[in-house]
Amino acid sequence: MAQVSLKKLVKRYGALEIVHGIDLDIKDKEFIALVGPSGCGKSTTLRMIAGLEDISGGEISIGDTVVNDLPPRDRNISMVFQSYALYPHMTVRENMGFSLKIAKRSQAEIDERVNEAAKILSLEALMERRPAQLSGGQRQRVAMGRAIVRQPDVFLFDEPLSNLDAKLRTQVRTEIKRLHAKVQSTMIYVTHDQVEAMTLADRIVIMRDGYIEQVGTPDEVFKKPATRFVAGFIGSPPMNIEEAKVEAGKLVFKNGDSLPLPVQFKDRVKDGQQVVFGLRPDDIFPTGHGLHSGEDADVHHNEVSVVITEPLGNETLVFVEFAGREWVSRMLNPRLLKTGERLQMSFDLSQAHLFSAETGKSLAL
Amino acid sequence: MFRKISPPVLLLLPAIIVLVAVVLFPLLLSLYSSFTPFRLTKPASLFVWAGFRNYQRILTDWVFWAAFLRTVVLLTIALNLEMLFGLGLAMLVNKATYGKRALRTAMMFPMMFSPVLVGFQFKFMFNDNVGLINNALQSLGLTDQAIPWLIDGNLALFAISVAEIWSSTSVFAILILAGLLAMPQEPVEAARVDGCTPWQTFRYVTWPFLMPFAYIAMTIRSLDIARAYDIVKIMTDGGPARRTELIWTLVGRTAYADAQMGLATAMAYISIILSIVFTIYFFRKLAAARTQIGAEW
Repeated sequence: MAQVSLKKLVKRYGALEIVHGIDLDIKDKEFIALVGPSGCGKSTTLRMIAGLEDISGGEISIGDTVVNDLPPRDRNISMVFQSYALYPHMTVRENMGFSLKIAKRSQAEIDERVNEAAKILSLEALMERRPAQLSGGQRQRVAMGRAIVRQPDVFLFDEPLSNLDAKLRTQVRTEIKRLHAKVQSTMIYVTHDQVEAMTLADRIVIMRDGYIEQVGTPDEVFKKPATRFVAGFIGSPPMNIEEAKVEAGKLVFKNGDSLPLPVQFKDRVKDGQQVVFGLRPDDIFPTGHGLHSGEDADVHHNEVSVVITEPLGNETLVFVEFAGREWVSRMLNPRLLKTGERLQMSFDLSQAHLFSAETGKSLAL
Repeated sequence: MFRKISPPVLLLLPAIIVLVAVVLFPLLLSLYSSFTPFRLTKPASLFVWAGFRNYQRILTDWVFWAAFLRTVVLLTIALNLEMLFGLGLAMLVNKATYGKRALRTAMMFPMMFSPVLVGFQFKFMFNDNVGLINNALQSLGLTDQAIPWLIDGNLALFAISVAEIWSSTSVFAILILAGLLAMPQEPVEAARVDGCTPWQTFRYVTWPFLMPFAYIAMTIRSLDIARAYDIVKIMTDGGPARRTELIWTLVGRTAYADAQMGLATAMAYISIILSIVFTIYFFRKLAAARTQIGAEW
């Protein structure tokens, strides 16, 4: 069993507090992604779990053991680093077998486990090469192999795909997912890329400025963002977010444009309240080009003008002018649009999000 | 007359002339003189061909071989200790969280002093009557005798090694520190996670990375020590009774005190072989260590 639990975890550098007492329970065999913008404390948290950073306050346990004062080597973890961190003077085989050699395992066992890991990652042909003779993707696979060979309780990934080019990134991403299915260990994965987090994780932890904003499945954080920050961070292209004021059953934006107040929020807001309105690009579409017909009760139509379009083949991202800013919309079965063209847009308000203007918390919860 | 010379040769001619005048001619002259019984006091002897007589004499002369071996011994001891101390010093400085730069500068102080002055200073410190070392030892009650540091042959060689090591350990320290600073931290962290103790981390990850830097320092210092002259000249002048005679103090003595220039150049040519052998050895090691860590420089 290798559940990982963080209790009131704090990291301070001198007077500067980076991580402010976070709590997190990671289940055995779970794939957890820590995601957030740079400087949010996600890497620091991972390094504290690894034992590479001291813990300033709180408690970390792996399995049933509190590991606060254990050195990294006694935590039974493996870590994959952004820069691969391979030992440059060792061959791929030596790199992968190193931890077992240190643990004084028999040569037969080392060979067996290294070969097995090599097979999982299709590294067999590269075993006698040195890291300098490998490409970035190959190096990262070796780094993963080195992690697998240890058969750890917990795998830690620190932005493992950041140094790879876009194509390789999706490729290695799939491999990581496959790896998790095969080895069935607890995995903690740090990334700043929400797509990676969404595609890989069982649950996503969204961090910001040393606090956890939300923990949930990819579906939950996408459909029910707990805060304005999560709403803006998860999803690509990002959610359209704009401040508005509730006035007589309407949401009135700063420039005077308005939308009806979504019915699901009727009892949750007061007249005159400042709120933040959010709507995903999928829920704004040129009428007739959306996920559904746009004839439902809570769909509102508005005429807007096109600012620019980004055709993607099967769909086009249309940037339109509304409420004093640009809104992104996703147009299915696209037709050619011209800049400045007037367009009838459907706003599916049943999918709308409202957040408190003061706290940023969702008003749907 | 220049028309007959091809343009590339013509263009290289100034460089060739300078090189011939400054390097090639003296080199050939010295090589030639090693085959003559040339004495500074008898210039005409430069034109007497003696064949391999000088070389024969040296190769069968135990005084030369003793000096040669002593140089190799000093080189081995000093190089290893400097390497060890330099490594320790660099690791300590690298650990410092504060004032790293000041420490780095302070580390280089010994290199800023003229070796002749270092020689005088250590000669004073190791003096059996008024020297600091004996005084300290006596005050601490470790001995009640005046230890003849510079008079006993073995102790004198020890004293010279101490002076050498004091003045040049920083060459190792600086170069190894440069290696430590250039070293990526992730492999070290990976090793810690992989189950390495601090010693194993050093042994399997840090040290292989530092090896090229250590070999560069070794190459530089092996040449330095192989031509050691100044400190020895001042501290013991090869004495007592030639017990601390090194190759170059012997060459110097033969050339100028005994005025046997022909014999001295022959010695010098044999000695240079020593330096060349060491240089080739360390460069090979360096190249191997560099490929090992996949260095891109």
